[in-house]
Amino acid sequence: MVETGHFALILALVLSLVQSLVPLYGAHKGDARLMAVGGPVTVTGFAMIALSFAALTVAYVQSDFSVTNVWENSHSLQPLIYKFTGTWGNHEGSMLLWVLILSFFGALVAAFGGNLPATLRANVLAVQGWIGTAFLLFILITSNPFARLVPAPIEGKDLNPILQDIGLAVHPPLLYLGYVGFSVCFSFAVAALIEGRIDAAWARWVRPWTLAAWVFLTGGIAMGSYWAYYELGWGGFWFWDPVENASFMPWLSGTALLHSAIVMEKRSALKIWTLLLAILTFSLSLLGTFLVRSGVLTSVHSFASDPSRGVFILCILTLFIGGSLALFALRASSLTAGGIFHPISREGALVLNNLFLTTATATVLIGTLYPLIVEAMFGDKISVGEPFFNLTFGPLMIPLLVVVPFGPLLAWKRGDVFAVAQRLMFAFGAALLAVLVTYLFIDGASVFAALGAGLAAWLVLGALTDLALKAGIGNVAPDVALRRFLGLPRSVFGTAIAHLGLGLTLLGIVGVLSFEKEAILVMKPGQVMEISGHSLRFDGLTPVRGPNFTEEQGNFSLLDAGGQPSAVIMSSKRFYPVRQMPTTEAGIKTMWLSQLYISLGDEAGDGSVVVRVWWKPLVTLIWGGSLVMMLGGFVSLLDRRLRVGAPARRKSAQAKTSPVTP
Amino acid sequence: MLFWVIAAVLTLGASLAVLLPLTRRAEGEADASHDLEVYRDQLGEVDRDAARGLIAPSDAELARAEIARRIIKLDAESARQSKKTSQLAPRQVGVLAVLAVPLLSWGIYAAIGSPSVPSQPLSARLSQKPADSSVDELIARAEAHLVANPSDGRGWDVLAPVYLRIGRANDAVTAYRNAIRILGSTTARQAGLGEAIAGSAGGIVTSDARVAFEAALKLEPADPKARYFLALAFAQEGKIADAATAWRLLAESLPVDSPWRAATDQAIAQAEARAAPSKETAGAPAPSQDDIDAAASMSSGDRTAMIEGMVATLDEKLRQNPRDPEGWLRLVRSYQVLGKTDLAQAALGRAYAALGRDSEDGRKLTELAGSLGLKVTE
Amino acid sequence: MTRKQKRLSVIAGALAFLGAATALTFYALGQKASYFYMPADLQTATLQPGQRIRLGGLVEGGSIVRGQGTQVEFSVTDSEKTVKVRYTGILPDLFREGQGVITEGSFGPDNEFIADSVLAKHDENYMPKEVADSLKAKGVWQETTQ
Repeated sequence: MVETGHFALILALVLSLVQSLVPLYGAHKGDARLMAVGGPVTVTGFAMIALSFAALTVAYVQSDFSVTNVWENSHSLQPLIYKFTGTWGNHEGSMLLWVLILSFFGALVAAFGGNLPATLRANVLAVQGWIGTAFLLFILITSNPFARLVPAPIEGKDLNPILQDIGLAVHPPLLYLGYVGFSVCFSFAVAALIEGRIDAAWARWVRPWTLAAWVFLTGGIAMGSYWAYYELGWGGFWFWDPVENASFMPWLSGTALLHSAIVMEKRSALKIWTLLLAILTFSLSLLGTFLVRSGVLTSVHSFASDPSRGVFILCILTLFIGGSLALFALRASSLTAGGIFHPISREGALVLNNLFLTTATATVLIGTLYPLIVEAMFGDKISVGEPFFNLTFGPLMIPLLVVVPFGPLLAWKRGDVFAVAQRLMFAFGAALLAVLVTYLFIDGASVFAALGAGLAAWLVLGALTDLALKAGIGNVAPDVALRRFLGLPRSVFGTAIAHLGLGLTLLGIVGVLSFEKEAILVMKPGQVMEISGHSLRFDGLTPVRGPNFTEEQGNFSLLDAGGQPSAVIMSSKRFYPVRQMPTTEAGIKTMWLSQLYISLGDEAGDGSVVVRVWWKPLVTLIWGGSLVMMLGGFVSLLDRRLRVGAPARRKSAQAKTSPVTP
Repeated sequence: MLFWVIAAVLTLGASLAVLLPLTRRAEGEADASHDLEVYRDQLGEVDRDAARGLIAPSDAELARAEIARRIIKLDAESARQSKKTSQLAPRQVGVLAVLAVPLLSWGIYAAIGSPSVPSQPLSARLSQKPADSSVDELIARAEAHLVANPSDGRGWDVLAPVYLRIGRANDAVTAYRNAIRILGSTTARQAGLGEAIAGSAGGIVTSDARVAFEAALKLEPADPKARYFLALAFAQEGKIADAATAWRLLAESLPVDSPWRAATDQAIAQAEARAAPSKETAGAPAPSQDDIDAAASMSSGDRTAMIEGMVATLDEKLRQNPRDPEGWLRLVRSYQVLGKTDLAQAALGRAYAALGRDSEDGRKLTELAGSLGLKVTE
Repeated sequence: MTRKQKRLSVIAGALAFLGAATALTFYALGQKASYFYMPADLQTATLQPGQRIRLGGLVEGGSIVRGQGTQVEFSVTDSEKTVKVRYTGILPDLFREGQGVITEGSFGPDNEFIADSVLAKHDENYMPKEVADSLKAKGVWQETTQ
């Protein structure tokens, strides 16, 4: 089975090579048969990689230590779920997952791209093939997951304990779905450059791919952030760590791409810019992969790095980024420019959005790469951390957030900003009220906290105002308004929901940064402590034996007003003997939107223990807001206008979704 | 065999994926029809939005005009575009592509694959016949059994000496302790425990080991292993004369065919050889030299290998848990007596880093380093 | 305004914005980036008073002293020189004696290093890359070969 997987992976490489060259040549020569090779080859290549991934998974689940990769990252005593997720909890396996997702997306384009112009489809698949070939070569040459070990050891070295967690089992696949989803946008962009023209269908294809990739990437980043929050045991949700920045940069530019693709789809404008953004976004995804995989940057939570792999990925990076940008420089002038618009219009607002987002991306990029550049040029080791990003990223984001509610309300082509401002008066008044209430009635609220709360309220109410106005609530009879509301295009809902989610996330961040309470104290069993009006009793430590770890479990009771325990919170210090590694399992009690977070410190001899307790108000909104943003993206994705008008199926599709006309 | 069949089927499938589209007749469509379709869709969309009241009728009219302009432009464009479809099918490219699939894949696999290595799921390895299993597999099976039944004293008792023999001294200590706890103390177990403790300490008879040997002697005063190691403890403390006496007493009481005779005789000879020159060069000999010689001379050369293995284990352990002053002392000494001065020096550096140079443990290290002739740079 | 003038003013606005963002970025890099030193490097380094740096090395054994509340003092060493570090806050999970650590902050008036963040790597070797590089150069630490 293992060798079958290995062989299937090699076959996938060869198929991917065919996929890179034959359709491209066919498109060049105008040969329909050669172009037609692209589809079946892509789908078969995906099947091969899936088989290969399944073989590796089986090796993991069966603890086949004759596979070096399994021996290094698994242990027979591990719970089954982590044997399973261990497949991608390491460098080799995660790269295999990366190409699996890549080929899956390629197969989707091949399977559902029948309504694309044949040359565009052939070129897109060929570009996907290049990426696939590069990464399959990378896997087979530098990080082959199917390398064998003879004689096979009888026991493995265990998966890194901090990865033995369900959060981290879900995080990489989501993140990769996002990263790799942008590869399709990239392929479409490069294909358009190869052809020297952008079809009208282009934006309609790129927009949903961008949306889907963006939804996954949002989820991946939120998941990673929540994982770091509870698993690393120091209660932070974002560290401006290079690894985090690596996923954040494609998110920022992907968000920009999402918005510019709207302009392109609706107004045929910003074509060249959208193309460039598509290239840049995937380039940043590749850069992220490089930064995480090569270990060139110090990160608080990087693992498994190898410089020789770094060089290989750097080559891939240079080839793809350099190549695509060179192609862009060569061909961009031959593309026709799109429609014109007034600076104050929906298009103008989206351009402003792009300007801010790409500039923010650039500052994050500079902050992340600056240490590398300085070390390479001067040999000095420097680091760029939170203070830098607070000073640069913050000032860029705040004005952007302030103008977000204006965008969806402005008319296409030529808008009236004063009329929009008038319509937003209610939201503005409410936001102002939120500022005052926060500042005057909440203890310890700073001006910053009050303004932050106000900005969050502005975003949330602005999004709701957008929906209300589009439905005509207040202007027309309630039943008409309701019908109009229900009849609104899903993309309008999507936009409003996503913007609302952004406001919620902001509210969570402001809540934690401004109102967090923290206490560190030594607690004896039976001792009670107070934090932000909650009484917490320490009930003592219990040693517990897990399948592949031992832990000291700290039991805490949350006391109600009468001093009776109302809830139990468990926080523990685990020790994984195979890797000789301790981990902290934070005890978290969610109370509505806020959380009580308990982390155990060192144990004193007499049964007392150092306890760190945080009260984190509204913290769940940070990730809850991200989920809402994802939902917004998903709802937009369902909008029929984003589905490509298929010539063959057009009539039936229209019949199904024909709107209720008044 | 099955693997080759599967590989052949996969290759066939992959080749067909390339071949079949080449044999079929594919019809290319003109690109303009796609664009037109999109624009037509957009027109429909504008109509719907206008009907729903989302956009004003005047705006809808403007949008329709704009889309109409695009359609006109499209017509002009497609009229300009020349038909570039060539009827010359580049057959060679197709043939090359089809051939590449089997040739390249089998070629690469021949270079990097390991077709002769079968899959070895752990459960299958553990359930095969004991006679076919390697020692490691048998141990793993016993371990799996003991994880499920940790109170099986006999299991621990059987496993302990096996651990000791293959150099897993730390596991041997645990196994002996468990056996003693569950089944009670016997001479063999206590002496084995002592040997295991000494083994995990890099061949040095620590105070813990001595306690175990003494417990063994309490049960059976003539036990040769315990007596041998207690004598070794004397030698390691520098009491060469006491050690030699103890070994001589042991040698006298040993039966002729005892497995301990050879080792004991050798130890006596070594101790005498060491005692003689030490009188001449007052205080010069490093006592630790005795340790290693005594340990090494105990039996055949594989014991040296075992000691090196133990030292490596200790080194690894200290990497994981550097707060172990006694461990560091042992490691530095062991490397020096094994003749690996550079490693000893490196270990010293690490020990200082872990324990602090000015701490009490640090001073002990400095003292030891001085006596071993290592550099103590300030 | 003519259409051309309008377009020019928009472009000028965008350029001004980008210029301001660039200036801000480089100002922030100058102000907020911190250099990495090992204790022994400090002899040759010229530091402005209050300049932010990153200090890396091994946590010296037996040097951790816990003070009031969240205050902690420990020494960072590279086996040549040792620097006392004062830190108020939460030490990371894998902060241990004898293990690699990176602290960030600046020197206080009494030549003690006041750290505002402490990082320990989440990996079985507990060795941040900069620290490992420097220690390898000094021959103190070797990578565990597997």
